Amino acid sequence: MAKVVILGAGIAGHVAAAHLKRKLGKEHEVLVVSPNSNYQWVPSNIWVGIGKMKKEDVVFPLQPLYKRKGIGYKQAKVVAFYPEGSSQISKAHVSVEYVAGDKQGQQELIDYDYLINATGPKLAFDLTPGLSPGENDTYSVCTYGHATEAWHALDTLMNKVKSTGQKAKILIGTGHGKSTCQGAAFEYILNVEKVISDAGLRDKFEITWISNEFELGDFGMDGLLVKYGGKNITSKEMVESVFEHRGIKWITKAGVNKIEKGIAHYENLDGKQKEEHYDFAMLIPAFSGHGFKSYDENGEENTEKLFKGFMIVDADYTPKPYEQWTVQDWPETYQNPSYNNIFAPGIAFAPPHPISKPRKSANGTDISPSPPRTGMPSGITAKLVADNIIDQIKNKDGKLHHKGSLGNMGAACIASAGYGAFTGSGVSITTYPIVPDFKKYPDSHGRKLGKTFGDIGLAGHWLKLALHYAFLYKAKMKPFWWIIPE
Amino acid sequence: MKITRFQKFLMMNPFIQAFKFVYLSVKIMFVVASGHGSTREK
Repeated sequence: MAKVVILGAGIAGHVAAAHLKRKLGKEHEVLVVSPNSNYQWVPSNIWVGIGKMKKEDVVFPLQPLYKRKGIGYKQAKVVAFYPEGSSQISKAHVSVEYVAGDKQGQQELIDYDYLINATGPKLAFDLTPGLSPGENDTYSVCTYGHATEAWHALDTLMNKVKSTGQKAKILIGTGHGKSTCQGAAFEYILNVEKVISDAGLRDKFEITWISNEFELGDFGMDGLLVKYGGKNITSKEMVESVFEHRGIKWITKAGVNKIEKGIAHYENLDGKQKEEHYDFAMLIPAFSGHGFKSYDENGEENTEKLFKGFMIVDADYTPKPYEQWTVQDWPETYQNPSYNNIFAPGIAFAPPHPISKPRKSANGTDISPSPPRTGMPSGITAKLVADNIIDQIKNKDGKLHHKGSLGNMGAACIASAGYGAFTGSGVSITTYPIVPDFKKYPDSHGRKLGKTFGDIGLAGHWLKLALHYAFLYKAKMKPFWWIIPE
Repeated sequence: MKITRFQKFLMMNPFIQAFKFVYLSVKIMFVVASGHGSTREK
């Protein structure tokens, strides 16, 4: 009997647990360790942040589902890694600390045959002084709790503007020079604009986008050339047209470096320090690794074998300039090269480098997006990791047959641009591949036109809503859930 | 690129968008479910 331990129950961890249990059956043990008691469908948090969905619409408790499906579950956080064993247990293990229930605060050693690290990112609000959800009038939509708080604050501001007739300023975008997830902020700003318009208050609000992108539509993907309405246009032109249509101002090339109540301080690529005033801000923080430590069998720290901020996998981490980056740098199996029974799919793996061209300000500050690795690739990489582990357990040939590089994988981003059955809209963008392959597609900015396309309209809203219900159905492991692709 | 009044009509017309929904669903499925793989193997 093999034991597979999964750290984290977000999209990657949950997908891996579901596939492993379904295919391994009762013969083998699957155990999920997560500090969160709920599964959350993160892409719908933006609708919680505008009051169109409640927390209950985007989450469900993990324990009852896992119990029903025969998946072990411990509500705990990982503390340290012992991939060679230790003086206490000779087998590879992790130490975890319970975060809830009777055992809260107690530590435990959990051994494994295979380990999947799907711990995702740490939301590094601390890297921007003053940026903290609920403080200094700044908010976040990164979790359902943050999004709920953001909606209460926005609703309160709208009521104040309504009753006093005063004007107000909204600032939405990225809260650090190295932030990623511009897509989530893009969705949120368009949804906020619609909510304000629907309330008849649009003329009272100035809405501004601020981001570390070199130009609009970069999205941490180095921008896209997309097929739209029979023409080839850049994602910059697409986003510009939407912002102009909605009366949204924008500031790009901006690394927010400090927040005071109602003031976002930022540096631009020219090295100038500037500030933007606001009454309500939603700024995506930088993401970082969790700072885990690893130890060898003698108790000596060997963190450098497992982590480089995020977890080290089969990527080429040789530092090289943007012009020499290739798709071959990106990992394919998400297996740690030092310990072949450890994998890191989703956001937990250390990328070899960004996707967007890195840029520094005149003062040497990094102001360019980190690579985004959102829901769809997280699910796909988690499934291929699960399939490789299943193969290893069943066939024992040690080969990893399932591969999936972000340089040979398509993804769809259905960005909500406003909620409403007949008044909503969405920006649907697909990209193939996710990481541009400039050798294969030299004339279309590294991506295959046709498979990389965009569309704007009501159908995009319906699609996003359909995906919300489909993926929650799948996550709840209801009948034939595995037919729905990642 | 500017969104014209006619383009806006096309974007928000439920009848047209119902067809678009089916078209986009199929096209997106084609892009994301058409497989993934290695970039290192010849």
